[in-house]
Amino acid sequence: MKNQKLSRWPWIVVGVMALYVLASFLKPAHDTSMAIEDFAALPVLNGGRIKPIDTVARVSLLMLHGKQTLKTPTRKLSATEWLMDMLFRQQQANTYACLRVDNPDVLGLLHLEQRRPPLYTFAEMGPALAAIETQAGQAEEVKAELRTPYQRAIVQLQTNLILYQKLQNTARPADMDRFADFVSAPHSDEAHQREHLHFMAHVAEFACVPERAPEGVKWTSVGESLLTHLGNTANARGALAFARMGDALRQFDPVEFNAALTQQQEWLRQTAPGEARLAKKELLFNRVQPFMKSLVIYLLAALLVFGSWLRRSSNWARGAMGLVGLALVVHTVGLLTRMILQGRPPVTNLYSSAIFIGWASVVMGLVLERIHRNTMGVLVASTIGFLTMIVAHNLASSGDTMEMMRAVLDTNFWLATHVVCVTIGYSATFLAGFLAIVGIVRSALQKDWPALDQQKLQTMVFGVLCFATFFSFLGTILGGIWADQSWGRFWGWDPKENGALLIVLWNAFALHARKLGATRGQKFLMLAVAGNIVTSFSWFGVNMLGVGLHSYGFMEKAFVWLLAFVVSQVAVIAVAVKQDYFSRTN
Amino acid sequence: MTSAPSARIRRWLEPLASLRLALWCMGLSLILVFWGTMAQVHLGTYNAQKIFFNSFVVFQNVAGWNCPVFPGGLTIGLLWLINLLAAFVVRFRLHGGKFGLFVSHAGLVLLLAGQLLTQLYTIETQMPIQIGQSLNYSESYRETELVLIDRGHSEYDEVTRVPISRVQKKGTIVFPRLPFELRVREFYPNAQLSMNSSNPPSEMRGIGSKIQVEPQPVATHEDDVNNVTAVLEVIDQGQSQGVWLVSSGLGAPQGFNAAGRTYEIAIRPRRNYTPFTLTLKEFHHDVYPGTDIPKNFSSLVQLGNPDTNEWRDALIYMNHPLRYQGKTFYQASFGNNDTLSIFQVVENPFAVSPYIACAMVLIGLAIHFLVMMVRFLRRSA
Repeated sequence: MKNQKLSRWPWIVVGVMALYVLASFLKPAHDTSMAIEDFAALPVLNGGRIKPIDTVARVSLLMLHGKQTLKTPTRKLSATEWLMDMLFRQQQANTYACLRVDNPDVLGLLHLEQRRPPLYTFAEMGPALAAIETQAGQAEEVKAELRTPYQRAIVQLQTNLILYQKLQNTARPADMDRFADFVSAPHSDEAHQREHLHFMAHVAEFACVPERAPEGVKWTSVGESLLTHLGNTANARGALAFARMGDALRQFDPVEFNAALTQQQEWLRQTAPGEARLAKKELLFNRVQPFMKSLVIYLLAALLVFGSWLRRSSNWARGAMGLVGLALVVHTVGLLTRMILQGRPPVTNLYSSAIFIGWASVVMGLVLERIHRNTMGVLVASTIGFLTMIVAHNLASSGDTMEMMRAVLDTNFWLATHVVCVTIGYSATFLAGFLAIVGIVRSALQKDWPALDQQKLQTMVFGVLCFATFFSFLGTILGGIWADQSWGRFWGWDPKENGALLIVLWNAFALHARKLGATRGQKFLMLAVAGNIVTSFSWFGVNMLGVGLHSYGFMEKAFVWLLAFVVSQVAVIAVAVKQDYFSRTN
Repeated sequence: MTSAPSARIRRWLEPLASLRLALWCMGLSLILVFWGTMAQVHLGTYNAQKIFFNSFVVFQNVAGWNCPVFPGGLTIGLLWLINLLAAFVVRFRLHGGKFGLFVSHAGLVLLLAGQLLTQLYTIETQMPIQIGQSLNYSESYRETELVLIDRGHSEYDEVTRVPISRVQKKGTIVFPRLPFELRVREFYPNAQLSMNSSNPPSEMRGIGSKIQVEPQPVATHEDDVNNVTAVLEVIDQGQSQGVWLVSSGLGAPQGFNAAGRTYEIAIRPRRNYTPFTLTLKEFHHDVYPGTDIPKNFSSLVQLGNPDTNEWRDALIYMNHPLRYQGKTFYQASFGNNDTLSIFQVVENPFAVSPYIACAMVLIGLAIHFLVMMVRFLRRSA
């Protein structure tokens, strides 16, 4: 690398990206004087935990539609704006094309044509609701992993429609005008009132009204709260606030809406101030989307490293270093915020494992860079950071990424030790594998790459692989101890356990093969690349088997990507085999 | 004798101790673990474990023949163990910066040996227990037994247990302490039983006369239950006392008379008796507020042991089993509207071996890798 004049532009790039991150902290502007962002911050109980309405909106829209925003013919709605229409203006919401249906057979059942994008309105589904329910009922009798694509799609659609209708009946009976008056009406109407409120209480998707109870605060839904206070609804202050907000929204009365919202905020301040603060934090986290930001910055950093190799310029390399550093800061803050919000160690589900594997790889990559100073560490750090953020982004569409932990997993001690060690093992194995890819590809493309640099890279791979062996062994063992504590056997040949064991075995195999001497140089790199395949199988493949106590659930889309990844790794190995063959014949 | 015995043994051990053999063991394990994991999709964890990991040879159906196709987990494990032990004699040294490797490989020996013994000697059973009920036995998940119960004594019941493998062999079963014999007419490892009141009149007595039996292939998935079924003829001094259909798919035992006494007969899950009793006092099933997601399961039991004069309460919940007299009771499942708690009961005399083994491997690896890193950093500095 030429030593040239240090220029200032790399720091400008880093500065611009930092501004890009900081800008997302600002409150988004809305073209109405309603305090939509304050509404988004209201805490609710959903899926067993307190979260802001904004999270409910984003996760629901993501599940129904696949994105966190919705385009309507007139304008782009944020998730919360969409949810407000779902909760209060149901007829309007039914005209939004927010239901994603990909399966052509399901569309056939609905008498609908395929379109791009495959989004449909609830109104379009209306006539077929009964048929969908019958078909889904039939499909559910088949074991989940044996269902055909049609059966899976119809069950998914039915699940989505249930969520849709639950949301629409959570805050008021779908499309009732003057709900606040209705519940405050005199007793003659009581049977009628009860009928509506019972239904609402029964189907409510979330509980948004904190009520004082002997054991502290009990979160109830609008329907439940109004039922309890029926006849004296003035006492159901939180629920009444929601009723008023809805009425105001239906009449486009921002002043009344904001007044009702303030009433609810006041009620929260009295009953659940801690929850309200927590929800505000999570709203900010949702708005900033730190992992999306770091995804972009990691990508830019990786491109700068390639640039530094092509231009042989240390300026580009410095820019890349700065960007990876910035991305890591954003990544770390995001990771810590998640841990604080959830009160859990970093890895609790597949989504968070992607976040953490990326984080650990980047940290290790930067440590390597510090030791070796040859831009290899930065390149691999930014590449793995970028790829894991993409994986995480795609995993997020399956629901709330901070869902509650099922009974046996409800232990911070084992989550903090076993799971963290296993994922560090994954990270290190990936790091070694990606370093090996860089080595193989670079020596294929750059004929004059000095042999000394090549050797240096192999030493790096070896060192990282030792680290990987240690942590994957430690993690696997801790998993065994956890299993011994909770299921009574240290080892049960469960798919997830086997997956972890495969990584340990593979790393041990690679290290011992290197000691044998026959597999130095390119051959050792090939083994390290194959480690990527083994790790990706352990991380994702075993979850697709649909058996075992650990499985996170079946994911077919991910399977295609896993396969593509495996094929790409095999291709790299093939390149190395070819090179190895020619280097020996010459 | 020209050469010292130790030198001859060494020459003999050298190929067994080779690194190449160790690599073969690792490679074969990799293939076996991957294959065994994939096979679980169709076989279920229990059967895949039996076929791939708890066997000496893996048999596969090749064109209708049950052929040995791959070494099983026990073979590879033993081979690896031999390889490691031989390497301790021939190769591994304590000195020369190899201390870490020595310790970690010694740990590996203990780990492999412990796992082999565990797989051979662990007994896993379950104990389904109703609130208020007291039990002094646990039941096997899959194995069954034929029992004959004489309730004619005032102080106790006399239970005669026949292993199901004996019933499977058919022929006549003779009991030293019972006044009659049992002739096994039919045996089905799995059968579908259905009520059929229009059966043609037969010699069958009891509920069997109203039941149609359809033999089924043995269910392989662990969620599926086999109805182990047999048709038995009671013979008292050469005289047939009637034919009885018994099956693990039938609920209550059936009664018959022989030699002036009344006996009950049934096929039920095989029982392991314990010298102590557990009484389920309370069962709790907590969920996260507003959801069905389970947060915790816990069972309050009373442990009663007349031998040691112990009568105490114990709480069994997620990740916190009850350990008592070599048995460990885990909260495994529940049922009957949260009035039934199911414990998994594990007896593993080698349960402690992986703890020691893993500590050794980890300490050894840590020492070795640290030594290597220090050397590397010194060289590059």
